[in-house]
Amino acid sequence: MKQRKDSSSTATFDQNVIKARCIVETPKEIKAEVLFSPSPIAFLQGVDPEKGVVCDRKHEIFDQPFTNKILVFPNAVGSSVGAYVIYRLEKNRKAPKAMINQTSDIITASGCALSGIPLFDMPSESFERLANAGKVTINAKAQITINSRKKSKN
Amino acid sequence: MYLTRSEEKALGGEYGEALESAYRVLLAMGRLSDAKRLIPIKWAHVSGVSYLTIGDYGLDFLQRISKIRGTKFKVFTTVNPCGMDIENWDRLEIPPEYAEKQLKIINAYQKLGIASSFTCVPFQSYPVPPKGTHVSWAESSAAIFANSILDIRTNRESAVSALASALTGKTVYSDLHIDKNRKSTFAVRVKLPKEKELKGSVDYGVLGYYSGKHAKGVIEFQGIKAARSLSESKALCAAIGTVGSSGMFKVGRSKGLETIDFTQKEYDETFDEISDSETGDAIVFGCPQMTIEELYELSKGLEGKHFKKKCIVFCSSKVYDLAKSRGYADDIEKAGATFVRDSCADFTPLISSLKVDSVVTDSAKGAHYMKRVHSVKVALKDTETILRENMI
Repeated sequence: MKQRKDSSSTATFDQNVIKARCIVETPKEIKAEVLFSPSPIAFLQGVDPEKGVVCDRKHEIFDQPFTNKILVFPNAVGSSVGAYVIYRLEKNRKAPKAMINQTSDIITASGCALSGIPLFDMPSESFERLANAGKVTINAKAQITINSRKKSKN
Repeated sequence: MYLTRSEEKALGGEYGEALESAYRVLLAMGRLSDAKRLIPIKWAHVSGVSYLTIGDYGLDFLQRISKIRGTKFKVFTTVNPCGMDIENWDRLEIPPEYAEKQLKIINAYQKLGIASSFTCVPFQSYPVPPKGTHVSWAESSAAIFANSILDIRTNRESAVSALASALTGKTVYSDLHIDKNRKSTFAVRVKLPKEKELKGSVDYGVLGYYSGKHAKGVIEFQGIKAARSLSESKALCAAIGTVGSSGMFKVGRSKGLETIDFTQKEYDETFDEISDSETGDAIVFGCPQMTIEELYELSKGLEGKHFKKKCIVFCSSKVYDLAKSRGYADDIEKAGATFVRDSCADFTPLISSLKVDSVVTDSAKGAHYMKRVHSVKVALKDTETILRENMI
């Protein structure tokens, strides 16, 4: 049966391609390793902008460097001043190459916009597919291609 | 989102780095809310002023943009309280290292062009524009007050998005700027025993704290009086903003909304969550900063007596000057209280420098933040009780 397809369903036809919503665009293609966090991130007091890591000891990605990676997390929480922490990360050259959220928020969006860090978000089922992604490519049309899967730990 | 030609040019950097950054922020905000366009605003209120909140990161950014030649705020801009009384900080136990950084932040904002008072109740110090006017206010308590009491329109902006509005004179046309989004979406039905009518800033603070936590969107309160005092409305707005994302409330009796009840049980549980002490070693008034009406009430309640412990009163310099001219400030100072102008109880190092274990206040918002920022215990009591228990 013939069905009308919108652009997103065409894009997701390939299991490894995700169509995201662009919040801050990327002028060129980005290819980098994913650091996936299942929990939200509090940038103010939860991220060390001198080191480029989450510094909250209880957090799943505590102390794992995200510099030059693609930082994937559901959304930011905490003070809106967290936007200035994202700005500081960029000035310190400790920022990720891009960020991907499930549902972007005012903190992440304003921080990334201020710092020129590409930012995207997407529906939850697509977001979950990034949990075990290794390397991904993001193009200027906000299409995210999963190039490799993370090697399983056991 | 549609941008005009000049907005496109600004975004492309033709009018300098500061405007380029500001439009980038607005564009991202617009995409976040699927907005169609930007709209002009008449007033920006910017948060992120205390060095205790924005730190060196915010200071760096503000200094950078304020040094770009010709960068000025495009619309009337007020800013939140800073972390100290600018003229009296050295008498008030503020560490000099802190003061130095705080003054740099203030200088940067002043270069960009701001109104003189540092205040979280900007509607008290400056004329309120006509109903329906679009503004861009950060500071959740003020934004909720703007939408719910003043009937001017704003989303709950962040420090950075309101700054972008101040630089461009624009905001994103979305959410609470649009008529259809200003209808009630969630009801809180207040069902208290007959003898227990909500009264004063503590009761309304407790209601706001509970509702902010559990309600989404535009809250409709059912079963509360429509005519509240300024102080009650201010406490309600501040508490909603402290723990929730809602940007507006109404009073009504709509049917068919998702509804939760606020009974004596919820009142008691919420009160116990906010107040974790029986008494306080120091008294704090003015979160949000006190209004002229509240200073009048306070001066009247003193009855010539004297405070038994340290009492700190937070208000804007404009409201202080008015209270001085009317004699209220002198009465309050004679009773032994200290005024701290243009500062914020929650984000000043002053409370920590008092070296007390507990504080008593009439503010649910103040209690929430002072516990977390200054690690003190807080007793929540209304002004009348505080005066009765702490004066000789």
